[in-house]
Amino acid sequence: MEALEMYTTDERSDVYTEELKLNLGPQHPSTHGVLRVELKMDGEIITDSRCDIGYLHRCAEKIGENVTYLQFTPYTDRMDYLASMNNNLAWSLTVEKLMGLEVPERAQWLRMICSELNRIASHLIAFGTYGIDIGANTPFFYAFRERESIMQLLERPSGARMLYNYIQPGGVRRDVDDNWIGDVLAFCDEFEKRWAEYNTLLSNNYIFIKRTANIGILTQSMALDYGCTGPVLRGSGVRWDLRRDVPYLEPYDEVDFDVPVGEGTHGALGDCWDRYWVRMREMMESIRIIRQGCAKLPGGEVMTKKQTSMYKSPMKAAEGAHAYMRCENPRGELAFYAVSEGGTSPIRLRARAPSFCNLAVLDQLLPGTMLGDGVAIIGSLDIVLGEVDR
Amino acid sequence: MQGLIDVFANLLGTGPTLSMVLAYFVCIHSLIGFITIYAMFAIWMERKVAAHIQVRLGPMETGGWHGWAQSPADALKLLFKEDLIPAGANKFLFWIAPALVFCGVFTGFIVVPFAEGIQIVDLELGVFFIVAIASVEVIGVIMAGWSSNSKYSLFGAVREAAQVVSYELPSATALLPPVLIVGSLTLGDFNTFQAEHGWLILHNPFMPIAALIFFISSLAGCKRAPFDLPEAESELVSGFHTEYSGMRFSFFGLEEFVSMFLVSAVTATLFFGGYTLPFDLLSIGAAPDVSLFDWLSGHAELGQVDILGSLTHLAGPAVFIVKVFVFIFIQMWLRWTLPRLRVDQVMVLGYKFLLPWALFTVVGTALFEGLGWGWCSHS
Repeated sequence: MEALEMYTTDERSDVYTEELKLNLGPQHPSTHGVLRVELKMDGEIITDSRCDIGYLHRCAEKIGENVTYLQFTPYTDRMDYLASMNNNLAWSLTVEKLMGLEVPERAQWLRMICSELNRIASHLIAFGTYGIDIGANTPFFYAFRERESIMQLLERPSGARMLYNYIQPGGVRRDVDDNWIGDVLAFCDEFEKRWAEYNTLLSNNYIFIKRTANIGILTQSMALDYGCTGPVLRGSGVRWDLRRDVPYLEPYDEVDFDVPVGEGTHGALGDCWDRYWVRMREMMESIRIIRQGCAKLPGGEVMTKKQTSMYKSPMKAAEGAHAYMRCENPRGELAFYAVSEGGTSPIRLRARAPSFCNLAVLDQLLPGTMLGDGVAIIGSLDIVLGEVDR
Repeated sequence: MQGLIDVFANLLGTGPTLSMVLAYFVCIHSLIGFITIYAMFAIWMERKVAAHIQVRLGPMETGGWHGWAQSPADALKLLFKEDLIPAGANKFLFWIAPALVFCGVFTGFIVVPFAEGIQIVDLELGVFFIVAIASVEVIGVIMAGWSSNSKYSLFGAVREAAQVVSYELPSATALLPPVLIVGSLTLGDFNTFQAEHGWLILHNPFMPIAALIFFISSLAGCKRAPFDLPEAESELVSGFHTEYSGMRFSFFGLEEFVSMFLVSAVTATLFFGGYTLPFDLLSIGAAPDVSLFDWLSGHAELGQVDILGSLTHLAGPAVFIVKVFVFIFIQMWLRWTLPRLRVDQVMVLGYKFLLPWALFTVVGTALFEGLGWGWCSHS
């Protein structure tokens, strides 16, 4: 780092190196999808960067304006495909608010447990791929082992491993089987041991800390200005979590959990390590939530009567009704805004994708860092291009 | 070597020049055969080690038993693949780079002492030769990166150039303490010295540090994690060999494993007793007074051949290869555990940390030698 500063501040006019334009992506191992970053390089140092997105644009919002409210749920799966449950939840809450649907209590608790499980699965991918970005391949396989357990758990009620379409307007699609809660708790016990293993392998590794601490420092004001949310915002020390501050599900009020924020443990506040460590600790908080959820899970129905009729004759929202609901996704705040003109589908639909907003800071963080740091910064923002482009 | 020349002269009745040509021909080709088989085994081993570290099984199907035929199958596949050359590439450099890379490490093998006398040439400057010839590979890597006409390859090449200057100094300096103690650069002398006085790593308190420094910088020399910057997958796609395919690509892979063997062989020879066992057990690896070669070359009768001595002599290479594989295993273990350093961190490590410590070991060893101290006594 010292050498780097010396080099960048030294304005010797006799040394002239030609600027190199480097095209990072859209096919590149560490852009986490089809992100293209146009970098201007001065040797190993990035002098300028420009994000180019849109390679995965599928007009999800426009599709939403042409299908019924219920039919759009599977499309939300495919936005942030690593956190489908959370996407389903955000959309369902929007529709419920739009139509004034009541959700049974058991469904609410199941929603919370499933979306927290999905949050762990999503953070596991962030953890594993971040290891690969830094050059350690093994954490990825460890993360996928535990993610597999979660996928098997979520497959049992939903029938799908990745794109669940389980949480729907009005409740959840099916009730869980009798052994499910026991298996979830067994997973929680297992996961706590594994989590300690991850920290031994990667989080506390000297090289890993050297590579991530003091890199890509996102200050609090900058994080707020750019509308960053989720672990990216909390990594900068802002204690803002919708689950705690604006509980969108009733059970979140009744469970006890902390909101981890970055503390600048190994360097400046808001560096890559802080963002990474917030994710790691959030996994343990999710485990806490799941444990309490499993203990307090009430009985009863899991779907409102009204929704069952939606399959046969699509339900209509009132004319002029509009709803905006936001949810704390693994990557930040996912929000849907739907405007109805009385039809079976919204006249206007808009999704606020957390990855899209978090990605906006990338161009600010990259200049002045080295290529290896650039990869670390992209990884620490934990973007999913399916959501950036929708 | 001389033994083999005599054998040809005796058995075939050829003249001295032709015998020498024949002897070198046989030596070089057995070396190529050895390297090929070793590399296939090492690649299979790397996959298995990686797999078991990563809670997987690795290759299990090809060939039946634990996928033993995976590497030959891969080699065959690469042989049959099209040899692609990028449109804007400098064809000549692009063609010659893999050969140069491979030649560099391959040539280093001619001085590796597998056992007393089982060595193609025992150069007087053996240690120097290995250090020098292993660096030829770097030129090939830079040529490959430059000629590919790809920005990522160029980055890989420049990183290799930056890396070589930071690890070559500590690695060469860390080899000086053993040289100081033995007082010779001939690799054969290291073995005879250690057979007599014990392993050099236990010779004085500075030797373990020197061995560690050499091992760390040799990781950088082989472009292994945590110093795999020239081919950093997550940053540079594949670095300098991004544009290579088929057989040319496989040469880079081969080179990596061969140079792993080479640096491990240097570590084993200079610090860990080479082919000798720590307790001078049966004087393994030492040549017998009358060997089979002497009989084949007509210098002795069959009845005079020291059978037990010949057997312990041939156990030398086995001991040596086992030692080398221990180091190769550690290299693999580290690769699948550690993250990658950044390019400036490699230089900081090389210049600010490894080099001063290497110099410290040189001074310390010189002091010990000058005062006649040492944990293992001089006889």
